Amino acid sequence: MIEFKGLIKKFGNRTVLNGLDLIIREGEIVFILGTSGTGKSVLLKNIVGLMRPDEGEIWIDGEEVSRFSEDQYFSIRKKCGMVFQQPALFDSLTVFENIAFGLRRHFRLSEREVTDRVQLALKLVNIQGVEQKRPTQMSYGMQKRVSLARTIALQPKILLFDEPTTGLDPITTTVINHLIQDLSKQLKSTSIVVSHDMNCALSIADRIVVLDKGQIEAIGTPDELKKSQHPLVRDFLAEVLSL
Amino acid sequence: MKFLAEIFGELGGTLLFLKTIMTTLVNKKIRRSDVFTQIWSVIIASFPTTAMAGFFVGAIMTVQFALLMNEFGALGYLGGLSTSATVREIGPLLIAFMLSGKVGAFTSAELGTMRVTEQIDAIRCLGSDPLQEIIVPRFIGIVIASFFLLGFGLIMSIFGGMILGDIFAGVNFQEYLRHIPTVVNPVSILFGTVKCGSFAVVTATVSTYKGFTTTGGAKGVGKAVVSTSVMTMILIVLMDWFTSFIGDIVLQIARGYRS
Repeated sequence: MIEFKGLIKKFGNRTVLNGLDLIIREGEIVFILGTSGTGKSVLLKNIVGLMRPDEGEIWIDGEEVSRFSEDQYFSIRKKCGMVFQQPALFDSLTVFENIAFGLRRHFRLSEREVTDRVQLALKLVNIQGVEQKRPTQMSYGMQKRVSLARTIALQPKILLFDEPTTGLDPITTTVINHLIQDLSKQLKSTSIVVSHDMNCALSIADRIVVLDKGQIEAIGTPDELKKSQHPLVRDFLAEVLSL
Repeated sequence: MKFLAEIFGELGGTLLFLKTIMTTLVNKKIRRSDVFTQIWSVIIASFPTTAMAGFFVGAIMTVQFALLMNEFGALGYLGGLSTSATVREIGPLLIAFMLSGKVGAFTSAELGTMRVTEQIDAIRCLGSDPLQEIIVPRFIGIVIASFFLLGFGLIMSIFGGMILGDIFAGVNFQEYLRHIPTVVNPVSILFGTVKCGSFAVVTATVSTYKGFTTTGGAKGVGKAVVSTSVMTMILIVLMDWFTSFIGDIVLQIARGYRS
């Protein structure tokens, strides 16, 4: 379980997260929606310690982690796999080495086990035979999938997705969205997905959180949100309902 | 006032970053293969330019000294004086400028791109320390490679000086080389080596710091590269003055102790 208590994050004079309170239950898929600059990505980065809150607490599986040192965060990052907005693959390494990178640092595995887990991860994201390619030799969509494979190879308890379908064509977007749902089920992970895609959120989320100005404006199941009269929610729904 | 505050802020940030690099170097295990890869890539990247620049610096120094020494009828010392000046001052400075222009800018751009494309964040999320993984190997690589490049650049400068000495002043190769051991003493070599090391530390620290702290997408990477070039050039010149100043004091103390 992940719990945010009164989370505040400021950049200079700008308050990005403004006293946010949220509980994410184990095993659920939560979509976080909101317009640009409302603190969605900042929230994810606070979970894995890439950013630290100015005030408030973050509880992960009963531990308050926001004041953890960089070394203490090692165990948290082992259970939280993050897929970044950009593929963030290491250009100098092959696909195999990219996926094996985290496995070799987080676990003590034999080379045989590393190879097996790399191949399993690539199979789960439906790409195979690309192990020896460099990221620059692949399309953006393929890079996104490899990035997803790199994260799921660690078999994390918590999966964090930062706009996983941004910049992708509609077909690849659908494929990635289904992958998120399938992987969450197969790995029995808690998934937090930051997205602008209300359509996808309605189809695969257990709950949807709508953020605005660093605070939660609306929260509920897809069915509950469909009935919401909140103007921001209606704006997000307008595009979907007009389809 | 704001400008001065920014300069001191940058200097302070760079020094703190150097401290972090040193702490990581002492406390964490650095993979040897990463370090050797970096040393090799720095040497390969700068080898042709260092060779060419070394050759011409030797040639220019020889021509300049030949003009003066011809008047005093001391052309026999041409090789010794020209090489001494190159070893003590021009060689290390030249290598440092080469490194800052090629390797410093490259390192800063590479790390900056890694930062803005979230690769550095990914390293942290994948259970590693970016300082241990990418910064320290680059830092050691630049520092160690600079000594190899200095040695090679100096050999090329002697070679350039020999050829120009023969063509321009009629000093044959044997004559040119004969007085090098007389004039170039261990102190000159020590000075040159210390200067080379300190310039390399400046280039390595500034380029890794500017790259690592890049923000603001492609424009930010461009800014980091420009800032690296300007900052390393200024700091290298300041470090040149500082090492000469300290060197003079050390020499005076040594002479006083001996007498």
